[in-house]
Amino acid sequence: MSITLITLVVIILILVYLYNSLISKKNQVENIFGTVDVQLKKRYGLVPNLVASVNRYMQHERELLEKITSLRAKAINPNISSDEKIRLDSQISSALGSIMVSIEDYPELKANENILNLQLTLNELESQISASRRAYNQAVTDYNNAIEMIPTNIMAKGMNYKRKEVFSIDENSRENVDVSNLFNN
Amino acid sequence: MEKIEELNTFYEDKLYSILEEFEEKRKKIRFKILFIIFIVLWNLVTIYLFFIPESVKSSEIITFFIAAFAVFCTFIYKYLKKDYVKEFKQEIIKPLVDKLDENLTYSANLHISKSIFNRSMLFRFPDRFSGNDLIVGRIDDVNLEFSDIHAQKKYKDNKGRTKYSTIFQGLFIVAKFNKTFYGSTVVLPDLAQSSFGNLIGSWLQENNPNREELIKLDNVEFEKEFVVYSNDQIEARYILTPSLMEKILNFQQNASQDIYISFIQEHIHIAIDYKKDLFEPTVFSSLLNKELFDEYINSLILAVGIVKELNLNQKIWKSF
Repeated sequence: MSITLITLVVIILILVYLYNSLISKKNQVENIFGTVDVQLKKRYGLVPNLVASVNRYMQHERELLEKITSLRAKAINPNISSDEKIRLDSQISSALGSIMVSIEDYPELKANENILNLQLTLNELESQISASRRAYNQAVTDYNNAIEMIPTNIMAKGMNYKRKEVFSIDENSRENVDVSNLFNN
Repeated sequence: MEKIEELNTFYEDKLYSILEEFEEKRKKIRFKILFIIFIVLWNLVTIYLFFIPESVKSSEIITFFIAAFAVFCTFIYKYLKKDYVKEFKQEIIKPLVDKLDENLTYSANLHISKSIFNRSMLFRFPDRFSGNDLIVGRIDDVNLEFSDIHAQKKYKDNKGRTKYSTIFQGLFIVAKFNKTFYGSTVVLPDLAQSSFGNLIGSWLQENNPNREELIKLDNVEFEKEFVVYSNDQIEARYILTPSLMEKILNFQQNASQDIYISFIQEHIHIAIDYKKDLFEPTVFSSLLNKELFDEYINSLILAVGIVKELNLNQKIWKSF
């Protein structure tokens, strides 16, 4: 009798532990995504400023500037899903990278203090966003591992937990933006 | 590399002749030390054999004699080499540091303060703290200081006697970091995983009560060598960028010792565990041995090199 009781208690404790670890992994993902989101919003806040500052000079990149403005408008829409946010972030990062590369071709822009400050701020934000993205990807990997590995996968199925997407953009592809591909999205 | 060649030329042209003079002094000191020790040993043995009554002779008396002899030897050794060490540092180490970079200041008797050592959160707080050979300077606009440090912790042995065990002995380097941050991030050698294997090791790391949250990073090689704890996992990644992780791995290879790194209060603290006091002259082996000199310059170049090696001079993120 007592052995059955002890076994039952142990099983319940294990179940509680597994349940809690799943919940904490899910919350961790949401929590870090919150931080990524805040930083992305900060960056989106700077986009109109950047576009306004370079608009006058960058006649040849008009299409690129319009593209980033429209992407930003989509990204700040509060009703979009996390996956959509991740996808838009990757496109905006590429577009911003292209603008930064283009600025190099305009000596008057390179010398402009306002642009220089914007570049510094965007660089700083970019490195913070990159850090949050990496933290997010790690949290998502832990979460995805948990919902696919035995025994937590059985419980995750019952709780209807689904795999989450990671930020796929890496450091190198952001630095070497392929401008021709940018408009094919 | 260039710097090493420059210092080697300096060694051959300038320092070698001074070292030859010191070599003579060293031999005299060695003779004095050995002579005094021999006389004292001779006397102790004579006293024990002929002047102590048979009834009193016991293993306790022998232990007492050995202990007294050991204390005496240490005292004589330290006393006789004191001036020699002082002169050596003034005439060899100081010119070497000046030659390495004119912006560096060398003080033989000073060391990194205990408060900075404690601030680094790399080791437990020491009960006994000493050091020497402080080098302070500004390299490429980055403030940097480093010194030898010996930190010890008190403990009681199984007979209840107070003893000290070394928690760190080696080179301790502090420099201003090129990014602004508010939390604390600590990078330690991965001892648990290498000693207990991946499964138990990572469980131990995750449940270390003395440390903050375990941070898993996205560089496999780095994860194999180090374990990272921080109170802010996003900030830890903001500091430990993929490129900095590669640079730290390189730095560890160059140091070929265990290294401990922390990022706290906008400073980077690096402890290189040489397990000995650096920049000291030898007494019982030749000073003209080139390996000894190579060790001096390699540790100096390693410490000063962190500014360039870890790109601390690139303040591209800071607008000031």
